Amino acid sequence: MSTLIGLPKNGYRVVPGPEAYLSPSAAIMGVVLPEEGQGLIEGEIVPQEVAMEEIANRLLSARNPMLFPGPLVLWAWSDKAVAKAKALQDMVAEVPGMRIIPMPDYRPKYPMINPEVEINPNHPNLTIWHNNIDVCMFVGVHCHFANLALKIVRAGTDCYTIALCGERGHEDAMITLRDVHAEEVRKITETIKRVKMGRVSCQKEE
Amino acid sequence: MPERRVVSPEYMLFDAPREKKYLIGNEAVAEAAKRANVDMAIVYPITPQSEATHIIGDMYAQGYIRDYYRGEDEFNVMSAVAGAAMGGVRVFTATSGPGTLRAFEMFPVWAGHRLPIVCAFMTRGVNSPLSIQPDNIEIGWLADTGMLIFHAEDPQDFFDMTLQAYIIAEQPEVHLPVGVCVDGFFVTHTREIVELTPEDEMLPPYDPSVSPVVAMDMETVPVRHMKDPFVMKSNYISYNTHASWQQEVRAAAERARKHIYKYMGGPIEVTHPDAEIMFMTSGTAAAQARVAMERMRAEGIDVGLVKIKVIRPFPEKEIAELAEVPGIIIVPEHNITGWLAREIRSRVNNNSKIYSGPRVFGGMTMPPEVIVKETKKLLQAGVAV
Amino acid sequence: MEALKISPGFEKVMPQEYLELVEDGPYGRGLGVKDLGTFKELIEVHPLCAGCALGLSIRLILASLPNPENTVIVGTTGCNAILMPQVAIHNIHCLFGNQSAVATGLKRALRLRYPNTHKDVVVMAGDGGVVDIGLAPTMHSWFRREQFTTIMLDNEGYSNTGGQESGMTRQGVVVNMAPLGKKFPKVPLHEVAKVAGCAYVATATPARARRLGQMVRRAILVAREIGPAYVQIFCPCSTNYKFPPAESLKRAKETEITEYMVPEAKEWIERIEKGPKAEEVSNEA
Ligand SMILES: Cc1ncc(C[n+]2csc(CCOP(=O)(O)OP(=O)(O)O)c2C)c(N)n1
Ligand code: SF4
Repeated sequence: MSTLIGLPKNGYRVVPGPEAYLSPSAAIMGVVLPEEGQGLIEGEIVPQEVAMEEIANRLLSARNPMLFPGPLVLWAWSDKAVAKAKALQDMVAEVPGMRIIPMPDYRPKYPMINPEVEINPNHPNLTIWHNNIDVCMFVGVHCHFANLALKIVRAGTDCYTIALCGERGHEDAMITLRDVHAEEVRKITETIKRVKMGRVSCQKEE
Repeated sequence: MPERRVVSPEYMLFDAPREKKYLIGNEAVAEAAKRANVDMAIVYPITPQSEATHIIGDMYAQGYIRDYYRGEDEFNVMSAVAGAAMGGVRVFTATSGPGTLRAFEMFPVWAGHRLPIVCAFMTRGVNSPLSIQPDNIEIGWLADTGMLIFHAEDPQDFFDMTLQAYIIAEQPEVHLPVGVCVDGFFVTHTREIVELTPEDEMLPPYDPSVSPVVAMDMETVPVRHMKDPFVMKSNYISYNTHASWQQEVRAAAERARKHIYKYMGGPIEVTHPDAEIMFMTSGTAAAQARVAMERMRAEGIDVGLVKIKVIRPFPEKEIAELAEVPGIIIVPEHNITGWLAREIRSRVNNNSKIYSGPRVFGGMTMPPEVIVKETKKLLQAGVAV
Repeated sequence: MEALKISPGFEKVMPQEYLELVEDGPYGRGLGVKDLGTFKELIEVHPLCAGCALGLSIRLILASLPNPENTVIVGTTGCNAILMPQVAIHNIHCLFGNQSAVATGLKRALRLRYPNTHKDVVVMAGDGGVVDIGLAPTMHSWFRREQFTTIMLDNEGYSNTGGQESGMTRQGVVVNMAPLGKKFPKVPLHEVAKVAGCAYVATATPARARRLGQMVRRAILVAREIGPAYVQIFCPCSTNYKFPPAESLKRAKETEITEYMVPEAKEWIERIEKGPKAEEVSNEA
């Protein structure tokens, strides 16, 4: 099962939308979740490091990168959650211009959501549109609600979505990694630092 | 109760020593629940299921199961196991025919709530008139609830599939209810050799912290979570949320396929894949079709068998591929609607070669000679092979 | 209480209402109705009709939970379920009428997982949900002596579906589905509750807020230690009974306030209420 499976045979790719009136879930379109040590880029299985590199590139090239942390990291409900929250904040600090808008709960909010301060899985597109977010990252959102939101984002916006999952990953994101805990977040941060260094030295050579 | 130890799912299914016992299906499923480290069983009597949940009651009395009670009716039993699953424990229940229908409103709710409940359906005829006899019409109705549906052939299958059901149901990316179905009496009350894993070995406990939805306990994680809020404001995006939610439930079932291969060896079992005549069937009809196949092969007729173990997610690719080879596909079933033939017909290219039958129901048995006879009749009638 | 902390650093991005809930919410503080106005409430805005007595009752119930940090509410379809997403504790909407069955499974599960903490389960449902479609699981939870509290929000009809007759509608009243007036009397469920096994039964009104708060609190404490508890709250519905919302409370007064406890419950309540720290009942089981 650890072989790289590649893209679904029907050629379906998980790419920025707006995709459809009602976009299909990527799993039904044949996208398969990664195995241990792997990630997904646009529906294609790749080694974890390749996905990390692409995450770094996407974040560093973004006009307006955004972290959407969910309840699993917003609350200090376990030591692991606290450590992951810390690692995420260190990561955000390494990405120029990256901001954080939390997804603190999953309720349809009354009377309305303020897209400046929070994102909601029932209408995530509002937050993306309002804040002109071109690259976003979901972390610590319960898998069911992450998939819901990622699919709605793909249906209606052109935002590039990244999902770091503590469990098995999310086909509905453009890039996803599985088994992401504090240590893996730190690895992403290191990758970001390295890619940044590379970019600086390239600029110098020009 | 002996001192018990936790073993990994892989060890239990693939490596644990097996001891042969002479058991009826109802005993086999109870033995599986014991090894599955079930926290709570909530039950309601109905033939042919009751004996299994009596035995589970005895297991509760012995300490294997931590809580157990008889509920007030099947709808409320299915509601109570949902409440328990939302509270973060592993549950078991079982029902049959009329009980399934009485409870029906809850099955799509289990799936929508993403609850990894395992329910055994010991199928039987539904009223009217009343019948306690085998008839699996209810499986066809269960198939579109969002649950995973397995169909066991014999007590051994019933034991294995129940364990497999818990393991697959609780995968974080699946996390869906599983219905483990058998044909009542033919399996529940038939004594056969069943190879059991050791009684003192059990699966690891359920861990609600890896669930794709919040456990209702105010701490895994705390504060403001509702399971599940209405999403029905009259606007496009609320409709889209409901639609996306349903899609995610189906996507979760899709993700089960990988685990079905890993833990069940796949959704189908094929004998003679290149045969000209193929029986495609499930449950006890597969056992009868196997006998029919052997008799016909002895006569030199090229017959094969596809036993379909998993009804949801339906093995569409596997069936479509296998259906390319034979000239005729015969689908014997224990119900009047022919739900399995319908499933197969809708997935294959040239579906005029699919013959739905023989079908028996209301408790009638399906002697292998009936399958043989009907098949020969078709061949004589000049159905292209 | 351990879980009720924001991960360090994320305070900066958490919406204001969450910061207030953590810093100034009622969790672990033993607050009650008398403290309303001095703390961040579990519910603030909701989409129910203006002046809805049911909405007010829920506000009072939430303010009366002895340990909101360890409470899970089970609701059911009806006006209450429209409000519940806004409530800052875990709560369940499963189906219409199955709330007491869901609560039974939930309470037993939480008892298995947290043997050393009282996790209070509170059913909160409309009169139709309790007395009509959900009567069997309600009564059976009492027969079985399940240890949770059932609260009926009695607006004397099915409000959420447009004002139909329920078992709690008064005899003679003309409402939808009772075109000639209801033909049988209001179901005396509070009387039924006593013979069905409840250790605590009360009828209350939001017009007597502190008394309502005391009853809800007592019910939950009795449910922890002694047996099932039932509180029936009269919540007249201005929308379906077509009276001005401002009259809701005046009408809500027109009901009898009653309280019943089995002797063990009475003894238990006296013990806690006369104890040194009456407001801070230990949450340890
Ligand atoms: C099985 C089922 N039957 C009927 C309904 C429709 N329904 C939804 S809410 C409701 C009435 C609720 O009345 P009540 O419990 O008194 O609460 P209220 O709205 O008055 O607060 C009904 C009939 C449903 N959702 N499910
Ligand atoms: S319909 Fe009646 S009970 Fe429902 S919210 Fe409006 S006033 Fe309240």
